[in-house]
Amino acid sequence: MISVSNLSKSYNGVTVLNIENLDIPTGESFGLVGNNGAGKTTFFSLLLDLIQPSNGYIKNKNIIVNESEAWKPFTSSFIDESFLIGYLTAEEYFYFIGDLRGQSKADVNSFLKQYEEFFNDEILQKKKYLRDLSKGNQKKAGIVAALIGNPEVVILDEPFANLDPTTQIRLKKIIKDLDENTATTILISSHDLIHVTEVCRRIVVLDKGEPVKDIQTSQATLEELEAYFNR
Amino acid sequence: MFKRFVSLEWKQFSRSSYFQKGIAIKILLALGALYFIGMAIFMGSVGFYGIQKAMPNNDPVEVVNNFLIYWFLADVMLRFFMQQLPVLNIKPYMVIPVNRSTVIHFLLGKTSISFFNFLPLFFFLPFSVVLLVEGYSVIRVVAWFFSILFFTLSINYLNFLLNKINKVFYVLAVIIIGLGLLQFYGIYAITEPAGYFFNSIYNKPYAVLIPLLLMVMLYRVNFKFIRKDFYLDGAIAKETKEVHTQEFTWLNRFGKIAPFLKNDVRMIIRNKRPKQVLLMSFMFLFYGLIFYTQKAYQDMPAFLAFASMFVTGGFLMSFGQLVPSWDSEYYKLLMSQNIPYREYLKSKWLLMVFAVGVSFILSTPYIYFGWDIFVMIAAGALFNMGLNSFITLYGGALNRVPVELNVKAKAFSNTQGFNPTQLLIALPKILGPILIFYIPYKLINFETGIICLAVSGILGIVFTNFFLNHIEKVYQKQKYKTIAAFGEKK
Repeated sequence: MISVSNLSKSYNGVTVLNIENLDIPTGESFGLVGNNGAGKTTFFSLLLDLIQPSNGYIKNKNIIVNESEAWKPFTSSFIDESFLIGYLTAEEYFYFIGDLRGQSKADVNSFLKQYEEFFNDEILQKKKYLRDLSKGNQKKAGIVAALIGNPEVVILDEPFANLDPTTQIRLKKIIKDLDENTATTILISSHDLIHVTEVCRRIVVLDKGEPVKDIQTSQATLEELEAYFNR
Repeated sequence: MFKRFVSLEWKQFSRSSYFQKGIAIKILLALGALYFIGMAIFMGSVGFYGIQKAMPNNDPVEVVNNFLIYWFLADVMLRFFMQQLPVLNIKPYMVIPVNRSTVIHFLLGKTSISFFNFLPLFFFLPFSVVLLVEGYSVIRVVAWFFSILFFTLSINYLNFLLNKINKVFYVLAVIIIGLGLLQFYGIYAITEPAGYFFNSIYNKPYAVLIPLLLMVMLYRVNFKFIRKDFYLDGAIAKETKEVHTQEFTWLNRFGKIAPFLKNDVRMIIRNKRPKQVLLMSFMFLFYGLIFYTQKAYQDMPAFLAFASMFVTGGFLMSFGQLVPSWDSEYYKLLMSQNIPYREYLKSKWLLMVFAVGVSFILSTPYIYFGWDIFVMIAAGALFNMGLNSFITLYGGALNRVPVELNVKAKAFSNTQGFNPTQLLIALPKILGPILIFYIPYKLINFETGIICLAVSGILGIVFTNFFLNHIEKVYQKQKYKTIAAFGEKK
């Protein structure tokens, strides 16, 4: 689904990301881990064509992302709060995203039904603008909005951060469910090694912009990762 | 401790984003500020003689005293509109080991050096000096000057109490306009009792105690108010009102651009900054009054053409020049979502065209000045819709300053969109209608000038697609730069 060729990004001569080759097949749940400054968000930003690569390119379903916009209809993402529109209520925001992804109001409503548990009564009909919700609740709204309209590629940057424990567990269930029952390709970055080994079938470790490990998740993965980061 | 606070404030001031601009802009800004200060000083120094000449039977001090009430009322309104509440910055000071009262005194004291408190000084100080030179009683003039200073500071502190209540502004606006009208039609003159009051203060120098006590009292009230609420959920808590989902289904008729239009409408009515712009653009409607009432301009139709464009172009220009910036807070979303740039731009364009239409309807009272004027406004409106809208959108692509939607623009820190490119872009907006009208007017006649101006606008509307395509390309090209600029913290 996604293939990276000779991709690099540098600012003022300092290389912050350098990936020679990376292929993510359709339907994979792909995890990206690494310390601060490892290049996770840079990679996602390149994938979403929010920054320009210094070299190389990323193909999303055979579309070079910085040359054509044809990847937008089937790709969706939640990177940070700048993906929310602060002055909308959660409903208005979901309908807006729905509109963009060709979903009617009724479609969106029935879609939201399945996330009632995840929302835990804190999102819908709250009579509040998104900017007035807590960080965790903003994140919940953003993540669910990224799933509207059956996207083929979903990109979530640190989805577990700021969520309460119950919601973290529910989110893991949602991601596993997507992974097992749909052909959605999911890309996740996280600082939480336990969560990421639990939901991702493949994990890549970035260090200073270079992929240093590429692991198919197994029983031993968590230990391996902990050993790696306990340098 | 105070010293440290002051040094923090200085850093905040000197490191703020608008000081990080290019040297050319700094010079321009400084020149602009000097101009206004110079004007105020000039008015203050020649004001005395001006009044003396215009009303030889009155004492200039009395004339100024009579109208002081309007000055103060306008001051209240301007502050309510522009001045920021100091309490918003309390949070970082809450847990440091310093007396609460010290922090509060500092916060309140800090507001005394606000620009709004200096503005009157530039006028009243030279005016008072002139009074002294003219041989007025020293003690009276000095007491009077300090009275005005204390009143100004009282307004400063009053403003923070008023700011808690949103409706105050509209009530004040109605009162001021009402009083102005009553005075204009000679029904009731507020200047009489107010003038009597201020003249009494002037005549009895010890009356300076009144504004002094008023100021001290308002300061105490503010102090108590903040002291009592010195908690996270107190004075600094953001008020969250209950809000309702608004569907705007009537906008669905616009098809593909409907979702954007809906958002734009919500953006304007739910955020402080765009509301400010909306109000400002309403003021533009009165711009014509300056030009159409002056005899001098009657023989300068080029200026009238310019004014006619301004009357309907307020929203277009003040909203339009910040076009991608309005969406800066969530620009990444727009750029990664399934959004065609074109529809996004078209929605903004339609909004501007709609605003020109509404302004045009509101400008019908200008018929009073004659059909010639009104036809000119109509032609100006067409020019705005067809050409100015595109020029403004084009200029927006080059303007990459993030806008905080729900924060009022501060006076004189509003340098957004203030760069050489913007100035260049502003030229065709202003010179365009003048030239398009004036050349055929000079060569043929008035009617031809009007027709040319109108036709230029209609042509613009006819070629909408061409212009939008071109602007879309510019926006595309600037995409990464814009994202990076909007991502920077202010």
